[in-house]
Amino acid sequence: MLNVKGLDVGVVGSPHLLLRDVSFDVGAGEIVGIVGESGSGKTMASLAVMGLLPNSLELRGGSIALEGRELVDAARKGDRPSASISMIFQQPRSALNPTMRAGRQVARALELNQGLSRSNASREAITMLEKVGIAGPERVARAYPHQLSGGMCQRVLIAMAMACRPRVLIADEPTTSLDVTIQAQIFDLIRALVADTGCGVLFITHDLAAIAEMADRVVVMYGGQVMETAGVNVLQGAAEHPYTRYLLEAVDREVDHRVVDVGVNFALTGCRFSHRCAHAHDACNEFPPLYRIGEDHASACVLHREGSRGAA
Amino acid sequence: MALLEVRGLHKVYGHATKAVPALRGVDLSVERGTTVAIVGESGCGKTTLGRVVVGLQPPTSGDVLLDGEPIGILSRSRSARGRVQMVFQHPDTSLNPRFRAGATVREPRRLLKGGASREIDSKVDEILKVVGLGPAYKNRRPRELSGGQQQRIAIARALMSEPELVVLDEPTASLDQSVRGRVISLLREIQESSGVTYLLISHDLITVRRIADSVAVMYLGRVVEFADTATLFESPQHPYTKALLAAAPSLDPAKRVQRVVLPGETPNPAELPEGCAFQDRCPLVHDRCRVEPPQLELAAPGHLVECFAVPTAPIHAIPAVVR
Repeated sequence: MLNVKGLDVGVVGSPHLLLRDVSFDVGAGEIVGIVGESGSGKTMASLAVMGLLPNSLELRGGSIALEGRELVDAARKGDRPSASISMIFQQPRSALNPTMRAGRQVARALELNQGLSRSNASREAITMLEKVGIAGPERVARAYPHQLSGGMCQRVLIAMAMACRPRVLIADEPTTSLDVTIQAQIFDLIRALVADTGCGVLFITHDLAAIAEMADRVVVMYGGQVMETAGVNVLQGAAEHPYTRYLLEAVDREVDHRVVDVGVNFALTGCRFSHRCAHAHDACNEFPPLYRIGEDHASACVLHREGSRGAA
Repeated sequence: MALLEVRGLHKVYGHATKAVPALRGVDLSVERGTTVAIVGESGCGKTTLGRVVVGLQPPTSGDVLLDGEPIGILSRSRSARGRVQMVFQHPDTSLNPRFRAGATVREPRRLLKGGASREIDSKVDEILKVVGLGPAYKNRRPRELSGGQQQRIAIARALMSEPELVVLDEPTASLDQSVRGRVISLLREIQESSGVTYLLISHDLITVRRIADSVAVMYLGRVVEFADTATLFESPQHPYTKALLAAAPSLDPAKRVQRVVLPGETPNPAELPEGCAFQDRCPLVHDRCRVEPPQLELAAPGHLVECFAVPTAPIHAIPAVVR
């Protein structure tokens, strides 16, 4: 349904690319997880799809197609490409208007996207709030964001996103600021909405375990480059790319703390993980494309170039 | 004697008309050289507990004893203040942006212990080496350091006064997964070599499991369960602990099978119901929970649980030896 291909994003006036050759697909009713550390470009990829890139950044190439319709020209001009894509954010309270009651914010989304009259929209807003699992929707509709908990604000935001009847929902770290018991509730809600409406979800997070729970497929990013993409079961010990393996091991392994972290830092030429990679060699100075290494499984590592498999 | 002893600690914010209890009678003891973790969700009082323990806030009632001495008196004398130190959650805001790393690390030694300038400088180099940073880092300002490096500086600063107890408030929460592992290993190595005691405040169960010797689970200002780390993770007793552990996402599909998603949210601490504070979200709630608050009681040696549904014996009925 959503097909992103070869997306390049750079800083205006600089030759360097922040996102390089980023491709992924989201099917109807499918949850695709993008996972990466800070600075991996996962949020930037979602902003590019939404047409929300800041002015200092520009789309340099690639294609973003929703149900076959090309969105990239609109996105390049800075127009919001389509109401068919909605987004929910990491800090739900700051994503809401602090001066407007929650119900009114949902109602406005309905007025703008479905052309409902003000009174119909207000009534429909209550129904929407009920649909996202809010007990006492009338009370919450009258509340301002500061009177609601973080979990409640995220539900309001989801109600607004669903009011646009999106084909694709982008969820950028939707539960990072929430407690785990509330996170479990929000995950259940997103799953129910997907089953109910058949929309696709692009689920962005730094938490591999959350991806393993929520997603059907996973896209691993580092330094603005897609490292590996596969069905989510790959996280059960079938990951091939050195970076994915490194991430999985970092969760539970005894690590040598004397290796000081390099922070947000990546190679600008060649493979962006090459300077942290234990397998790096000369061939890594060239930018690796995604090599197909199995059914629905691709890895951007020269180790997986045809004929060199097993050489590692 | 335990290094840190917390007895009947209460902390109420606000005035009588709008009182918000953050701690509602917390008892805890931490043996020297061990790590006790406090886990719980936002609003459970874990950060308040940490701040009262280091003396940043006075308790409303109850005692915090360090080696048997009340900490309120300790915090007034400089030489004693260095015995308890703290590492904060956000290294980017807890480091002075205008101080170079060397000056940040130097400061507590100068203020709390004094000594010749040259001695302090060599101590700075020594501590930076402990946290895995070379002397070149002394001249960096916080913005020139990554999040993991900033947290190493914050840990170095806390160690400069050679404290006996360090309160770690979410030390890994703002770090990426790969960096988190290194900070955990670093903290453990420091404890092994110096014998420092940690009170670790965290909601990150992976960090807790890898550092802590025992764990106290808090809910709305009360410790609802306390046990050694292996017991708590493998056979939790309190329904809240069970739900909390089960709610954490897992890479292992087998762990997701029997999840009970807790309904609702943590109630407003200013309007707590009578009886057990967990009653409205509890899958095991019955009539008694709505009228009488449960007390922390012994479910097995070393395993304390505050729940009517768990078979327990009152603490005072157990000989002190098995506590």
